[in-house]
Amino acid sequence: MSDTQWPRYQVFHQARPDRPHLNAGSVHAPDPELALLNARDVFVRRPPCVSLWVVQAADITGLTAEELAAGQWPERPAEPGRAEEPYLVFIKREARGTHEHCGEVQGSSPQQALQRAVREVKVSPALVYWVCPKRSVLASEPDQGPSLFGPAQDKPYRDQAFYHTDSLMRDIRRNDGQEPEGS
Amino acid sequence: MNTGTAGALAAYLLGLADDELILAHRDSEWTGHAPILEEDIAFSNLALDELGHAGLWYAAHAELLGENPQTRPDELAFLREPADFRNVQMVELPNGDWAFSMLRQYLFDAAEMVRLEALVNSRHKPTAETAAKIRQEERYHLRHTAAWVRRLGLGTEESHRRMQAALEMLFPYAEQLFQPQDGQAGLVDQGYIPSEQATVADWRGRVRQDLEGADLRLPEAAESPAASRAAHSEHLAQLLSEMQVVARSDRGAAW
Repeated sequence: MSDTQWPRYQVFHQARPDRPHLNAGSVHAPDPELALLNARDVFVRRPPCVSLWVVQAADITGLTAEELAAGQWPERPAEPGRAEEPYLVFIKREARGTHEHCGEVQGSSPQQALQRAVREVKVSPALVYWVCPKRSVLASEPDQGPSLFGPAQDKPYRDQAFYHTDSLMRDIRRNDGQEPEGS
Repeated sequence: MNTGTAGALAAYLLGLADDELILAHRDSEWTGHAPILEEDIAFSNLALDELGHAGLWYAAHAELLGENPQTRPDELAFLREPADFRNVQMVELPNGDWAFSMLRQYLFDAAEMVRLEALVNSRHKPTAETAAKIRQEERYHLRHTAAWVRRLGLGTEESHRRMQAALEMLFPYAEQLFQPQDGQAGLVDQGYIPSEQATVADWRGRVRQDLEGADLRLPEAAESPAASRAAHSEHLAQLLSEMQVVARSDRGAAW
């Protein structure tokens, strides 16, 4: 049976103009435009956001600190005739952290971009590197900001505690003449 | 604004609010059932947004009639009988397949956008402000639903067939969104609301472009199955009985 799942896209979101884009997670989508819209609905319906990037997960090449130490570079040689182009560099800096946009390098292959990222982008510790060609990234347009991210600003986010369900349920049981268990 | 004008504008806004509420409920029926997780979340978000818009229009309606804008919306949503609702029949139809629900949402979003773009210039300031607030969110809705219409229309043979069938069914119903109601002419003349002739012409132009771009054939102009917003199909009563049952079984309960 063929795989009917849509491709996966990594989502990077920027909370403020002076902050880097951070990896928020991933969504499935049939194409980049719908990936961007899905990313908005899944990850930034409430949190502040000024910009979103999506990139197909298959276009990202990764390298862990262990692989770097062992000299195990990923086999992603240059496509024939491919000129140098800009790659975005994302680095995971903490075990529980997420990938963070740390800069840009030039490369004619993912492997070369990774080598240059390790050499040129000074971040320590760097636990996992990700690089992807800049052309693979679909970014939200600045003028789309208000319709994509604006409505979230004036909507309250309420977690379950807001509704006081627990104390309400206790009251209901008390009124029914039943004391809640354990009280 | 005199009492007659306020009453007419309140009636107009009630129609907008009821359309949003009933469509929101239909959309919410997809929660947990949409074809893919991401779209399940997105469509549930659309439902919540439309519910929010309904709340804003109900509150504006209540203000115009000197009623409490905090409590009146809940009463209007949960304690009215089907015959008192003023939504168009398009939004009360059962969901059908994904193509039907997505196309309905798209046709509605396009109509709403055209209307909001005119209402932001309403002489009635609260109406203009509410329209401006909703419009921002509607831009996103339209982008989302237009993107789906394009992909389903140009997708597979099956998705195209389902979209065309949904369009044949929905297009005449959509016309009802633009049927002028009693007392509306005066509101148009005084600059409170746009004329339906202008709104429907703008809407037809926009949806024609999107639908033909999705390889869908617009049906011949057909009369809307209902002219009056007081007339409903049997589906509304069923929808309301489900939507209202909790509120009605414990009136005045704290939420």
